[in-house]
Amino acid sequence: MATHKRILRTLGNGPTRRNLFGPVDREQLQVEYQAALRKDLEEASHRWGFDFLSEKPLEGGDFQWEGIPGTKVPLLYRSCMLGLGYVDGQRAAGGVVNHSGTRVGPSQSEKENIPRTPERCVLKLENLEKTPEKVENTGVKRKQTNITDFYQAKRRVVWMPRKSGQ
Amino acid sequence: MELLCLEMDTIIRARPDPNLLCDDRVLQSLLTIEERFLPQYSYFKVVQKDIQPFMRRMVATWMLEVCEEEKCEEEVFPLAMNYLDRFLAVVPTKKCNLQLLGAVCMFLASKLKETRPLTAEKLCIYTDNSIRPQELLEWELVVLGKLKWNLAAVTPNDFIEHIVRKLPLPEDKLALIRKHVQTFIALCATDFKFAMYPPSMIATGSVGAAICGLQLDSADKSQWGDSLTDLLAKITNTEVDVLKECQEQIERVLVSSLREGRQQQQQQQQTQRGPSGKGLDELDQSSTPTDVRDVNL
Repeated sequence: MATHKRILRTLGNGPTRRNLFGPVDREQLQVEYQAALRKDLEEASHRWGFDFLSEKPLEGGDFQWEGIPGTKVPLLYRSCMLGLGYVDGQRAAGGVVNHSGTRVGPSQSEKENIPRTPERCVLKLENLEKTPEKVENTGVKRKQTNITDFYQAKRRVVWMPRKSGQ
Repeated sequence: MELLCLEMDTIIRARPDPNLLCDDRVLQSLLTIEERFLPQYSYFKVVQKDIQPFMRRMVATWMLEVCEEEKCEEEVFPLAMNYLDRFLAVVPTKKCNLQLLGAVCMFLASKLKETRPLTAEKLCIYTDNSIRPQELLEWELVVLGKLKWNLAAVTPNDFIEHIVRKLPLPEDKLALIRKHVQTFIALCATDFKFAMYPPSMIATGSVGAAICGLQLDSADKSQWGDSLTDLLAKITNTEVDVLKECQEQIERVLVSSLREGRQQQQQQQQTQRGPSGKGLDELDQSSTPTDVRDVNL
Protein backbone atom coordinates (compact mmCIF):
# COMPACT_ATOMS: atom_id res chain seq x y z
CA MET A 1 0.00 0.00 0.00
CA ALA A 2 2.80 2.35 0.93
CA THR A 3 4.59 1.51 -2.29
CA HIS A 4 1.44 2.09 -4.22
CA LYS A 5 1.11 5.53 -2.70
CA ARG A 6 4.67 6.27 -3.53
CA ILE A 7 4.14 5.36 -7.15
CA LEU A 8 1.25 7.76 -7.34
CA ARG A 9 3.29 10.46 -5.69
CA THR A 10 6.17 9.83 -8.02
CA LEU A 11 3.90 10.39 -10.94
CA GLY A 12 2.69 13.59 -9.38
CA ASN A 13 -0.92 12.66 -8.96
CA GLY A 14 -1.26 14.25 -5.55
CA PRO A 15 -2.69 17.68 -4.82
CA THR A 16 0.64 19.23 -5.79
CA ARG A 17 -0.15 18.49 -9.39
CA ARG A 18 -2.11 21.52 -10.43
CA ASN A 19 -2.37 24.28 -12.96
CA LEU A 20 -2.14 27.61 -11.15
CA PHE A 21 -3.07 30.30 -13.62
CA GLY A 22 -5.17 28.73 -16.32
CA PRO A 23 -4.25 27.65 -19.83
CA VAL A 24 -1.03 28.78 -21.49
CA ASP A 25 -1.33 30.53 -24.85
CA ARG A 26 1.09 28.33 -26.78
CA GLU A 27 1.32 30.43 -29.92
CA GLN A 28 1.96 33.58 -27.96
CA LEU A 29 4.51 31.71 -25.87
CA GLN A 30 6.35 30.62 -28.98
CA VAL A 31 6.37 34.17 -30.31
CA GLU A 32 7.72 35.50 -27.05
CA TYR A 33 10.29 32.76 -26.91
CA GLN A 34 11.61 33.57 -30.37
CA ALA A 35 11.59 37.28 -29.60
CA ALA A 36 13.43 36.78 -26.32
CA LEU A 37 16.12 34.71 -27.97
CA ARG A 38 16.49 37.08 -30.86
CA LYS A 39 17.00 39.89 -28.39
CA ASP A 40 19.54 37.86 -26.45
CA LEU A 41 21.43 37.16 -29.63
CA GLU A 42 21.41 40.79 -30.64
CA GLU A 43 22.75 41.80 -27.28
CA ALA A 44 25.42 39.13 -27.44
CA SER A 45 26.40 40.18 -30.98
CA HIS A 46 26.66 43.74 -29.83
CA ARG A 47 28.64 42.87 -26.75
CA TRP A 48 31.12 40.60 -28.45
CA GLY A 49 31.26 42.37 -31.78
CA PHE A 50 30.53 39.10 -33.51
CA ASP A 51 27.74 37.94 -35.78
CA PHE A 52 26.92 34.53 -34.38
CA LEU A 53 24.73 33.62 -37.32
CA SER A 54 27.23 34.07 -40.08
CA GLU A 55 30.06 33.41 -37.59
CA LYS A 56 31.92 36.50 -38.68
CA PRO A 57 33.31 39.36 -36.62
CA LEU A 58 31.44 42.64 -36.84
CA GLU A 59 33.11 45.87 -37.89
CA GLY A 60 34.33 48.12 -35.11
CA GLY A 61 33.94 45.66 -32.23
CA ASP A 62 36.06 45.73 -29.10
CA PHE A 63 37.51 42.31 -29.74
CA GLN A 64 39.88 40.89 -32.23
CA TRP A 65 38.65 37.55 -33.48
CA GLU A 66 40.81 34.72 -34.63
CA GLY A 67 39.64 31.55 -36.34
CA ILE A 68 40.58 28.16 -34.89
CA PRO A 69 40.04 24.84 -36.67
CA GLY A 70 37.31 22.78 -35.04
CA THR A 71 39.60 19.86 -34.33
CA LYS A 72 41.70 22.00 -31.99
CA VAL A 73 38.78 22.77 -29.75
CA PRO A 74 37.89 20.41 -26.90
CA LEU A 75 35.08 18.04 -27.74
CA LEU A 76 32.74 19.85 -25.39
CA TYR A 77 32.73 22.96 -27.51
CA ARG A 78 32.30 21.31 -30.85
CA SER A 79 28.78 20.00 -30.71
CA CYS A 80 27.07 23.27 -31.40
CA MET A 81 29.17 24.15 -34.39
CA LEU A 82 28.54 20.86 -36.11
CA GLY A 83 25.47 19.15 -37.45
CA LEU A 84 23.48 17.11 -35.05
CA GLY A 85 24.13 13.82 -36.77
CA TYR A 86 27.76 14.28 -36.02
CA VAL A 87 27.05 15.08 -32.41
CA ASP A 88 25.15 11.88 -32.00
CA GLY A 89 28.08 10.03 -33.45
CA GLN A 90 30.39 11.70 -30.96
CA ARG A 91 28.11 10.88 -28.14
CA ALA A 92 27.95 7.23 -29.08
CA ALA A 93 31.68 7.14 -29.45
CA GLY A 94 32.04 8.67 -26.01
CA GLY A 95 29.92 5.92 -24.54
CA VAL A 96 32.08 3.25 -26.11
CA VAL A 97 35.19 4.91 -24.80
CA ASN A 98 33.78 4.90 -21.32
CA HIS A 99 32.91 1.25 -21.39
CA SER A 100 36.24 0.10 -22.69
CA GLY A 101 37.97 2.37 -20.24
CA THR A 102 40.36 3.90 -22.74
CA ARG A 103 41.07 7.56 -23.07
CA VAL A 104 39.53 9.84 -25.65
CA GLY A 105 41.69 10.61 -28.67
CA PRO A 106 45.10 12.24 -28.40
CA SER A 107 43.80 15.64 -29.43
CA GLN A 108 42.25 16.07 -26.01
CA SER A 109 45.16 15.03 -23.88
CA GLU A 110 46.99 18.29 -24.37
CA LYS A 111 45.50 19.78 -21.27
CA GLU A 112 45.18 17.88 -18.05
CA ASN A 113 41.63 18.49 -17.07
CA ILE A 114 39.96 18.81 -20.39
CA PRO A 115 39.72 15.20 -21.55
CA ARG A 116 37.47 14.31 -18.68
CA THR A 117 34.96 17.04 -19.20
CA PRO A 118 33.40 15.74 -22.40
CA GLU A 119 33.22 12.24 -21.02
CA ARG A 120 31.42 13.36 -17.94
CA CYS A 121 29.12 15.44 -20.03
CA VAL A 122 28.35 12.51 -22.26
CA LEU A 123 27.49 10.38 -19.30
CA LYS A 124 25.19 12.99 -17.87
CA LEU A 125 23.41 13.41 -21.14
CA GLU A 126 22.79 9.73 -21.37
CA ASN A 127 21.44 9.61 -17.86
CA LEU A 128 19.18 12.50 -18.56
CA GLU A 129 17.77 10.70 -21.50
CA LYS A 130 16.98 7.66 -19.45
CA THR A 131 15.11 9.31 -16.63
CA PRO A 132 12.05 10.62 -18.44
CA GLU A 133 9.84 8.34 -20.41
CA LYS A 134 9.56 10.18 -23.68
CA VAL A 135 13.08 11.21 -24.32
CA GLU A 136 13.58 11.38 -28.02
CA ASN A 137 12.77 15.02 -28.49
CA THR A 138 13.96 16.28 -25.15
CA GLY A 139 17.11 14.26 -25.39
CA VAL A 140 18.01 16.01 -28.57
CA LYS A 141 17.55 19.39 -26.99
CA ARG A 142 19.42 18.48 -23.83
CA LYS A 143 22.85 18.99 -25.14
CA GLN A 144 25.34 21.69 -24.40
CA THR A 145 23.64 24.82 -25.60
CA ASN A 146 25.14 27.71 -27.36
CA ILE A 147 23.96 31.20 -28.11
CA THR A 148 23.33 30.23 -31.73
CA ASP A 149 21.54 27.06 -30.83
CA PHE A 150 18.05 28.29 -31.11
CA TYR A 151 18.45 29.32 -34.69
CA GLN A 152 19.75 25.93 -35.58
CA ALA A 153 17.16 24.48 -33.30
CA LYS A 154 14.42 25.35 -35.70
CA ARG A 155 16.26 23.76 -38.51
CA ARG A 156 17.25 20.88 -36.33
CA VAL A 157 13.69 19.92 -35.76
CA VAL A 158 13.42 19.38 -39.46
CA TRP A 159 16.79 17.79 -39.79
CA MET A 160 16.69 15.42 -36.92
CA PRO A 161 14.20 12.82 -38.01
CA ARG A 162 15.93 12.48 -41.32
CA LYS A 163 19.36 12.16 -39.78
CA SER A 164 18.37 9.63 -37.20
CA GLY A 165 16.43 7.70 -39.78
CA GLN A 166 19.47 7.27 -41.95
CA MET B 1 7.45 2.37 -13.54
CA GLU B 2 11.12 2.13 -14.35
CA LEU B 3 11.54 5.14 -12.13
CA LEU B 4 10.98 3.05 -9.05
CA CYS B 5 14.17 1.10 -9.15
CA LEU B 6 16.09 4.31 -9.59
CA GLU B 7 14.50 5.73 -6.50
CA MET B 8 15.82 3.00 -4.31
CA ASP B 9 19.33 4.23 -4.90
CA THR B 10 20.83 6.15 -2.05
CA ILE B 11 21.42 9.82 -2.58
CA ILE B 12 25.04 10.67 -3.03
CA ARG B 13 26.03 13.56 -0.85
CA ALA B 14 29.36 15.08 -0.08
CA ARG B 15 30.28 15.05 3.57
CA PRO B 16 30.55 18.43 5.27
CA ASP B 17 33.99 19.71 4.49
CA PRO B 18 35.68 21.37 7.50
CA ASN B 19 38.04 23.11 5.11
CA LEU B 20 35.10 25.01 3.74
CA LEU B 21 32.88 25.27 6.78
CA CYS B 22 35.46 26.12 9.42
CA ASP B 23 37.29 28.76 7.46
CA ASP B 24 36.27 32.35 7.97
CA ARG B 25 37.57 33.33 4.56
CA VAL B 26 34.73 31.34 3.03
CA LEU B 27 32.19 33.21 5.14
CA GLN B 28 33.78 36.52 4.24
CA SER B 29 33.70 35.67 0.54
CA LEU B 30 30.06 34.71 0.75
CA LEU B 31 29.30 38.01 2.46
CA THR B 32 31.23 39.91 -0.18
CA ILE B 33 29.55 38.37 -3.20
CA GLU B 34 26.02 37.76 -1.93
CA GLU B 35 24.67 41.13 -3.03
CA ARG B 36 25.47 40.39 -6.65
CA PHE B 37 22.71 37.85 -6.78
CA LEU B 38 19.90 39.95 -5.40
CA PRO B 39 17.06 40.99 -7.71
CA GLN B 40 17.68 44.48 -8.98
CA TYR B 41 14.29 45.97 -8.27
CA SER B 42 11.28 45.52 -6.15
CA TYR B 43 9.69 44.51 -9.40
CA PHE B 44 6.01 44.64 -8.58
CA LYS B 45 6.14 48.41 -8.62
CA VAL B 46 8.47 48.87 -11.55
CA VAL B 47 8.49 46.00 -14.01
CA GLN B 48 5.46 43.79 -13.64
CA LYS B 49 1.99 44.77 -14.77
CA ASP B 50 0.14 41.47 -14.88
CA ILE B 51 1.68 39.78 -11.87
CA GLN B 52 0.86 40.63 -8.29
CA PRO B 53 2.49 39.66 -5.00
CA PHE B 54 -0.15 37.08 -4.16
CA MET B 55 0.60 35.29 -7.43
CA ARG B 56 4.25 35.04 -6.53
CA ARG B 57 3.13 33.50 -3.29
CA MET B 58 0.95 31.01 -5.16
CA VAL B 59 3.71 29.91 -7.45
CA ALA B 60 6.19 29.82 -4.56
CA THR B 61 3.93 27.63 -2.48
CA TRP B 62 3.51 25.28 -5.40
CA MET B 63 7.25 25.16 -5.98
CA LEU B 64 7.88 24.39 -2.34
CA GLU B 65 5.36 21.56 -2.48
CA VAL B 66 7.00 20.10 -5.56
CA CYS B 67 10.44 20.33 -3.97
CA GLU B 68 9.19 18.60 -0.85
CA GLU B 69 7.32 15.90 -2.69
CA GLU B 70 10.37 15.22 -4.80
CA LYS B 71 12.59 15.38 -1.72
CA CYS B 72 14.86 17.93 -3.26
CA GLU B 73 17.90 19.19 -1.41
CA GLU B 74 17.02 22.04 0.91
CA GLU B 75 18.70 24.79 -1.08
CA VAL B 76 16.90 23.96 -4.32
CA PHE B 77 13.76 25.88 -3.43
CA PRO B 78 15.42 29.08 -2.16
CA LEU B 79 17.75 29.03 -5.15
CA ALA B 80 14.87 28.56 -7.57
CA MET B 81 13.10 31.51 -5.95
CA ASN B 82 16.24 33.58 -6.39
CA TYR B 83 16.19 32.80 -10.12
CA LEU B 84 12.49 33.60 -10.30
CA ASP B 85 12.91 36.97 -8.61
CA ARG B 86 15.92 37.91 -10.68
CA PHE B 87 14.06 37.05 -13.87
CA LEU B 88 10.93 38.93 -12.84
CA ALA B 89 13.05 41.95 -11.95
CA VAL B 90 14.02 42.35 -15.60
CA VAL B 91 11.32 40.71 -17.72
CA PRO B 92 7.66 41.75 -17.67
CA THR B 93 5.86 38.41 -17.46
CA LYS B 94 2.28 37.38 -17.96
CA LYS B 95 0.36 35.67 -15.24
CA CYS B 96 -0.30 32.62 -17.40
CA ASN B 97 3.44 32.08 -17.88
CA LEU B 98 4.35 32.37 -14.23
CA GLN B 99 4.05 28.67 -13.48
CA LEU B 100 6.22 27.86 -16.48
CA LEU B 101 8.83 30.23 -15.09
CA GLY B 102 8.59 28.59 -11.68
CA ALA B 103 9.09 25.17 -13.23
CA VAL B 104 12.08 26.37 -15.25
CA CYS B 105 13.65 27.86 -12.11
CA MET B 106 13.23 24.60 -10.20
CA PHE B 107 14.64 22.71 -13.16
CA LEU B 108 17.77 24.87 -13.16
CA ALA B 109 18.24 24.97 -9.40
CA SER B 110 17.80 21.23 -9.16
CA LYS B 111 20.37 20.61 -11.86
CA LEU B 112 22.84 22.85 -10.11
CA LYS B 113 22.42 21.36 -6.65
CA GLU B 114 21.39 17.75 -6.99
CA THR B 115 23.02 14.55 -8.02
CA ARG B 116 19.74 13.36 -9.43
CA PRO B 117 17.93 16.42 -10.72
CA LEU B 118 14.25 16.83 -11.43
CA THR B 119 13.39 15.91 -14.97
CA ALA B 120 11.57 18.18 -17.36
CA GLU B 121 8.77 15.68 -17.76
CA LYS B 122 8.15 15.38 -14.07
CA LEU B 123 7.97 19.13 -13.67
CA CYS B 124 5.48 19.34 -16.53
CA ILE B 125 3.30 16.74 -14.87
CA TYR B 126 3.29 18.86 -11.72
CA THR B 127 1.87 21.74 -13.75
CA ASP B 128 -0.91 19.32 -14.64
CA ASN B 129 0.59 19.23 -18.12
CA SER B 130 -0.26 22.85 -18.74
CA ILE B 131 3.26 23.19 -20.12
CA ARG B 132 5.24 20.78 -22.30
CA PRO B 133 8.79 19.59 -21.78
CA GLN B 134 9.73 21.25 -25.03
CA GLU B 135 8.54 24.62 -23.74
CA LEU B 136 10.31 24.10 -20.46
CA LEU B 137 13.57 23.48 -22.27
CA GLU B 138 13.11 26.45 -24.56
CA TRP B 139 12.42 28.81 -21.68
CA GLU B 140 15.29 27.37 -19.77
CA LEU B 141 17.53 29.02 -22.32
CA VAL B 142 15.69 32.32 -22.08
CA VAL B 143 15.92 32.34 -18.29
CA LEU B 144 19.59 31.41 -18.41
CA GLY B 145 20.22 34.34 -20.72
CA LYS B 146 18.42 36.76 -18.44
CA LEU B 147 20.32 35.45 -15.43
CA LYS B 148 23.49 35.91 -17.47
CA TRP B 149 24.24 32.26 -16.71
CA ASN B 150 25.05 33.24 -13.13
CA LEU B 151 23.42 30.30 -11.45
CA ALA B 152 25.65 29.72 -8.47
CA ALA B 153 23.85 32.35 -6.42
CA VAL B 154 24.48 32.63 -2.72
CA THR B 155 21.49 31.35 -0.74
CA PRO B 156 20.70 31.72 2.96
CA ASN B 157 21.38 28.01 3.29
CA ASP B 158 25.04 28.63 2.49
CA PHE B 159 25.38 30.49 5.78
CA ILE B 160 23.71 28.05 8.15
CA GLU B 161 26.76 26.03 9.10
CA HIS B 162 28.98 29.07 9.33
CA ILE B 163 26.62 30.70 11.78
CA VAL B 164 25.62 27.66 13.79
CA ARG B 165 29.14 26.51 14.49
CA LYS B 166 29.97 29.84 16.14
CA LEU B 167 27.15 29.61 18.64
CA PRO B 168 27.38 27.72 21.92
CA LEU B 169 24.59 25.31 21.14
CA PRO B 170 23.97 21.88 22.64
CA GLU B 171 25.29 19.21 20.32
CA ASP B 172 22.15 17.09 20.56
CA LYS B 173 19.94 19.95 19.41
CA LEU B 174 21.92 20.86 16.31
CA ALA B 175 20.01 18.68 13.88
CA LEU B 176 16.70 20.08 15.10
CA ILE B 177 17.99 23.64 14.92
CA ARG B 178 19.19 23.12 11.35
CA LYS B 179 15.82 21.76 10.37
CA HIS B 180 14.02 24.72 11.86
CA VAL B 181 16.40 27.18 10.25
CA GLN B 182 15.86 25.56 6.87
CA THR B 183 12.14 25.76 7.38
CA PHE B 184 12.34 29.46 8.21
CA ILE B 185 14.48 30.09 5.16
CA ALA B 186 11.96 28.32 2.94
CA LEU B 187 9.20 30.34 4.55
CA CYS B 188 11.06 33.58 3.82
CA ALA B 189 11.51 32.54 0.20
CA THR B 190 7.75 32.28 -0.22
CA ASP B 191 7.25 35.84 1.01
CA PHE B 192 8.18 38.73 -1.26
CA LYS B 193 9.06 40.91 1.73
CA PHE B 194 12.33 39.05 1.99
CA ALA B 195 13.20 38.94 -1.69
CA MET B 196 15.51 41.94 -1.50
CA TYR B 197 17.17 40.99 1.78
CA PRO B 198 20.72 39.71 1.62
CA PRO B 199 20.79 35.94 2.15
CA SER B 200 23.11 36.31 5.15
CA MET B 201 20.49 38.39 6.93
CA ILE B 202 17.75 35.88 6.24
CA ALA B 203 20.01 33.12 7.48
CA THR B 204 20.98 35.00 10.61
CA GLY B 205 17.40 36.00 11.34
CA SER B 206 16.27 32.43 10.79
CA VAL B 207 18.88 31.05 13.16
CA GLY B 208 17.79 33.60 15.76
CA ALA B 209 14.14 32.76 15.27
CA ALA B 210 14.86 29.04 15.46
CA ILE B 211 16.82 29.32 18.68
CA CYS B 212 14.17 31.55 20.27
CA GLY B 213 11.41 29.33 18.95
CA LEU B 214 12.97 26.25 20.46
CA GLN B 215 13.48 28.27 23.62
CA LEU B 216 17.08 27.30 23.76
CA ASP B 217 17.89 30.86 24.64
CA SER B 218 15.81 30.81 27.79
CA ALA B 219 17.40 27.67 29.18
CA ASP B 220 20.54 29.49 30.16
CA LYS B 221 19.87 33.19 30.44
CA SER B 222 23.33 34.05 31.62
CA GLN B 223 24.78 32.64 28.45
CA TRP B 224 22.39 34.23 26.00
CA GLY B 225 20.18 37.02 27.25
CA ASP B 226 20.18 39.83 24.75
CA SER B 227 23.54 38.73 23.57
CA LEU B 228 22.16 36.20 21.10
CA THR B 229 21.21 38.89 18.64
CA ASP B 230 24.49 40.72 19.26
CA LEU B 231 26.46 37.58 18.66
CA LEU B 232 24.51 36.74 15.52
CA ALA B 233 24.91 40.25 14.19
CA LYS B 234 28.64 40.09 14.70
CA ILE B 235 28.98 36.81 12.81
CA THR B 236 27.49 38.16 9.60
CA ASN B 237 28.37 41.85 10.06
CA THR B 238 24.73 42.83 10.27
CA GLU B 239 23.45 45.78 12.25
CA VAL B 240 21.77 44.63 15.44
CA ASP B 241 18.59 46.67 14.91
CA VAL B 242 18.17 45.51 11.34
CA LEU B 243 18.71 41.94 12.35
CA LYS B 244 16.23 42.22 15.19
CA GLU B 245 13.66 43.63 12.81
CA CYS B 246 14.34 40.83 10.34
CA GLN B 247 13.96 38.16 12.98
CA GLU B 248 10.70 39.69 14.18
CA GLN B 249 9.47 39.81 10.61
CA ILE B 250 10.28 36.13 10.19
CA GLU B 251 8.42 35.32 13.38
CA ARG B 252 5.41 37.32 12.20
CA VAL B 253 5.37 35.52 8.88
CA LEU B 254 5.52 32.24 10.73
CA VAL B 255 2.62 33.21 12.93
CA SER B 256 0.46 34.29 10.02
CA SER B 257 1.29 31.26 7.93
CA LEU B 258 0.54 29.00 10.87
CA ARG B 259 -2.74 30.77 11.37
CA GLU B 260 -3.52 30.37 7.69
CA GLY B 261 -2.63 26.72 7.82
CA ARG B 262 -4.79 26.22 10.86
CA GLN B 263 -7.71 28.02 9.25
CA GLN B 264 -7.38 25.86 6.20
CA GLN B 265 -7.30 22.81 8.36
CA GLN B 266 -10.34 23.92 10.24
CA GLN B 267 -12.18 24.70 7.04
CA GLN B 268 -11.30 21.29 5.78
CA GLN B 269 -12.56 19.67 8.92
CA GLN B 270 -15.70 21.79 8.65
CA THR B 271 -15.54 22.56 12.31
CA GLN B 272 -16.35 25.82 13.95
CA ARG B 273 -13.50 28.24 13.91
CA GLY B 274 -12.33 29.59 17.23
CA PRO B 275 -11.46 33.26 17.74
CA SER B 276 -8.19 34.16 16.11
CA GLY B 277 -6.76 35.37 19.43
CA LYS B 278 -6.95 31.88 20.76
CA GLY B 279 -4.88 30.65 17.87
CA LEU B 280 -2.14 33.07 18.75
CA ASP B 281 -2.06 32.06 22.39
CA GLU B 282 -1.76 28.44 21.50
CA LEU B 283 1.00 29.29 19.15
CA ASP B 284 3.01 31.10 21.77
CA GLN B 285 2.87 28.10 24.00
CA SER B 286 3.60 25.49 21.42
CA SER B 287 6.26 27.69 19.86
CA THR B 288 7.81 26.50 16.63
CA PRO B 289 6.28 23.33 15.31
CA THR B 290 8.46 20.46 14.28
CA ASP B 291 7.86 21.23 10.67
CA VAL B 292 6.28 24.53 9.78
CA ARG B 293 5.80 23.47 6.21
CA ASP B 294 3.42 20.76 7.25
CA VAL B 295 1.17 23.48 8.53
CA ASN B 296 1.99 25.97 5.86
CA LEU B 297 0.79 23.83 2.98
